[in-house]
Amino acid sequence: MTTQNAQAEQFDMTRPLPIVQPWSEAFWAGAREGKLLLQHCKECSATIFYPRKFCPECWSADIEWRQASGKATVYTFSTAYDMVEPRFWADLPYTIAYVDLAEGPRMMTRIVDCAPEDIKVGMKVEVTFHKLDDKFSLPFFRPAAK
Amino acid sequence: MGANKIAIIGIGEVPTRTMPERSRWDIIYDTCMEAVRDSGLSKNDIGAVISTSPQAQPQLTAELAFGKLPEELGLENCKDTCVVNAGGAGTSNCLRLAEQYIASGVADAVLVHHVTVHSTIPVPDLIAFFAKAGVDLQWEYPFGSTYNIIMGLMANRYMHETGCTPLQMASVVTALRSWASRDPHSIFYGKAVPSPEKVLESSLLNTPLHKRESNILADGGCAMVVVSAERAKKMGKPAAYKLGESVRYFSATPMMRNMEKMVYGLRDTAKEAIAQAGITSSDVDIWNVYLAYPLAHPIMAEALEIAPFGQGGQYFLEGRMSFGGDIPWSTIGDAPGRGHTGSGVSAAVYVETARQLMGKAGERQVPDCAYVYQNTSGGSGFNNIATIWGRDPK
Repeated sequence: MTTQNAQAEQFDMTRPLPIVQPWSEAFWAGAREGKLLLQHCKECSATIFYPRKFCPECWSADIEWRQASGKATVYTFSTAYDMVEPRFWADLPYTIAYVDLAEGPRMMTRIVDCAPEDIKVGMKVEVTFHKLDDKFSLPFFRPAAK
Repeated sequence: MGANKIAIIGIGEVPTRTMPERSRWDIIYDTCMEAVRDSGLSKNDIGAVISTSPQAQPQLTAELAFGKLPEELGLENCKDTCVVNAGGAGTSNCLRLAEQYIASGVADAVLVHHVTVHSTIPVPDLIAFFAKAGVDLQWEYPFGSTYNIIMGLMANRYMHETGCTPLQMASVVTALRSWASRDPHSIFYGKAVPSPEKVLESSLLNTPLHKRESNILADGGCAMVVVSAERAKKMGKPAAYKLGESVRYFSATPMMRNMEKMVYGLRDTAKEAIAQAGITSSDVDIWNVYLAYPLAHPIMAEALEIAPFGQGGQYFLEGRMSFGGDIPWSTIGDAPGRGHTGSGVSAAVYVETARQLMGKAGERQVPDCAYVYQNTSGGSGFNNIATIWGRDPK
């Protein structure tokens, strides 16, 4: 038995998929098409992320989806080298970040297409989608084109 | 609720170790019986039992939630029992509920306890539990986030804003371990205290967190007997009186947490609890901080206005929070020094608060300890509960 097979037997090595709520399905449908969608409250003009059933600012149900620019700034980051779940071992090292979207909300993501040592707080980044399967693509970010 | 209503009059604890040979119920027996004996009461004086929810131990949680403990210990006059879960803030809520039981007449004396045995949980189950606890399963977990990474994100931002150096950060471990090495209940009792340089020599788990800046999962348990402040005063035994409390909610999902709002919350809860106790910050003899990870301690030191902004790490590097320093701080060494027993670390900090106020902390005893600040926090930091405890009632 190979080491990899032994690991696969002991641990769940399958890639975790987002646990979706009905009101966030449109976000993932957009991500499949390469679009970063944010909710917009038509009642109070709040830009909402993560998606909610009602606007968290005013509780309005009058919410629409708008495509975001995909531009963001790194608020903070941490590059993982060890002690992650076995299902993420193959990705090591990888960098998790909070990025502030140009539209305001903050989201968790991965910074890709960049050496870990080159990632800085305040770095300008842009969205790129990473396909998990036919249903899900995760919004990752990479250094913004100059 | 919150001030001058209850007192801890008895404590019991087993050393935090890796001890798969001890069953959870074995530890429950020992800690609860020791606490009741320490209180000077008898088992049949206990009117209620409240358990801090044991994380990642579903069978035990079910047994406790469905009332097994009073039956197991033969608590003949116990009127009610339940499990309280707010993660690391669970024990604070156990004490609040104990206060309500006492105020409403349900019980005169309440037994609050916690037990965790990590060492017999299968490794894949442990990994799965800690990978998913405290992070959002839709917006964070699929990216590969972990507890360690959440702490790394916070620490990197703090270091960016303040200029705190890796060596200053690493010195927090040195400070916490200096207390833990003198604590017979710590997994690091009697062990060498690593220098900040030694801490930084350990491998990098995720930036800026090194292996020695992380936690060792361990087994442990403790218990407390709580009565009204009035009754404790009449009993005339050494006790820890609850004098003040304040709380703020931040966010469940780490990415939604506004760091500035969190720091203000840490600051304001301390101010409010201290004011409620009728003391000032300079009266506090011990800052018994529970944050689970060393990287958050400089932030807390600044939020509590003990260190100026940006100087929290330097204070630790100068040894001011270490054993023998001028700012007694986390005298069990928080989770990095004690060993991580899930939601049990905060329970252990409460026991230590009581131990210090009772004058029973041995080598770690802070002389003439009259007031202790203690906080707890749940999940990955969804809230902060600040409390002030005193040696005497108000």
